[in-house]
Amino acid sequence: MAPPELLTPTTEEGAVAELVATAPGTVAVLAGGTDLLLDLEERRLEPRRLLSLRRLPWNRHAWEGGGLTLGSTEPLSALEEDPQLPVRLPALAQGIAAVGSPALRLQATVGGNLGRSAPASDLTPVLLALDAEVELLGTAGARRMPVDRFLRASRETALGPGELIRSVRIPEDRPSSAYRWQRVRPAHDISQIGVAVAYAPRERRWGVSLGGAPPRPRLVPEAAAELHGPRPPEAEVAAASERLARDPALVSDRRASDEHRRRLAAVLCTRAVRAALSPPVAEPT
Amino acid sequence: MSGEPPALRVNGRAVALDDVPGDERLLDTLRWRLGLRGTKEGCRSGGCGACTVLVDGRGRLSCLALTRELEGSSVMTVEGAADDPVGRTVQEAFVQEGAAQCGYCTPGFVMAVTGLLRGRGDARPTSEVLRGLGGNLCRCTGYVAIARAVERARQELR
Repeated sequence: MAPPELLTPTTEEGAVAELVATAPGTVAVLAGGTDLLLDLEERRLEPRRLLSLRRLPWNRHAWEGGGLTLGSTEPLSALEEDPQLPVRLPALAQGIAAVGSPALRLQATVGGNLGRSAPASDLTPVLLALDAEVELLGTAGARRMPVDRFLRASRETALGPGELIRSVRIPEDRPSSAYRWQRVRPAHDISQIGVAVAYAPRERRWGVSLGGAPPRPRLVPEAAAELHGPRPPEAEVAAASERLARDPALVSDRRASDEHRRRLAAVLCTRAVRAALSPPVAEPT
Repeated sequence: MSGEPPALRVNGRAVALDDVPGDERLLDTLRWRLGLRGTKEGCRSGGCGACTVLVDGRGRLSCLALTRELEGSSVMTVEGAADDPVGRTVQEAFVQEGAAQCGYCTPGFVMAVTGLLRGRGDARPTSEVLRGLGGNLCRCTGYVAIARAVERARQELR
């Protein structure tokens, strides 16, 4: 099979036009490439064309409207360098630091992480707990939807055949938020469990999400419902942790047993809420 | 787009990209097209750091970079390290501290450390530089000599 042709459009209209001009299933959209290139290498994907988003102006983020807009192709390392991130959205700073190694984060992008819908992503549980919305661009213009609706299953999203992820919007600062994870070797393994928690000050409610368990990261409203107000007491934290540990998604697979996952879910939930309630400090995770 | 033919600079030398297929990785371009075998292939999936080179001054995993996407960039491999003040200091420090056993991971470490110490990187605490090496694996040394080499290079660059 002939090697794929690499397309590097410089405008978003050009990128959508290239995408629409290519038969579905024969084009692969390339952001940072840290995940896609593995599929090309193993020939799990054999596209005729590679559509690189690297030259599009989608590689920056902006604090606006009280929240954060993330360009889909900005490398995670650039976000890490923003000193506001650990203060305004600590869960996101911690989720980013959990992704691969520093060298990998120079390439990996938020859009790629979402678009590939990896089942054990460390970013998607955080984006779920922060009520993030994804903005999709197609020939009919842009549309937005919650990340929870965008992610369908492992490797499956609501992205239409002629659509690209342009940005991700986090509606407001959530200084009381945290992400905690567990894996065997920190820089190289995939998380066995990830737990993100965030307090939404306007709506006065908590969000709790679970990652690392199949089929995909998702919100667990039953656990969040145990937490009330900006400073829930220890008894509520324990109740939320116990509720999370009973989640039916905590099953056995090659990364962890169900029993191990349940214990991790409870412990990490407690640690995450406690971290969210502590004043923001630069901490290694 | 300019009318210039697509090119990349590798250790200061222009490399034409016309014949490079769209899915060729920088690692393969360096090793097989340019004969620069100092850059090592380890896991080929971004997990070991053996293939680290500098792209526009920052450490990049060449196994996860498409050569054609890097058009217009400057690449430095371990073969070019001796011509770079920071790279040379890092190499010397690795020699002085005996920071290699089998040596397979060493080019990747040298380039990763060089990337981390460039600019004002020598002002960073050693712990931060070492954290930046979290994606570089060495199966022989236990990392102690490597950490000493990082500290030595950092001191000499200050």
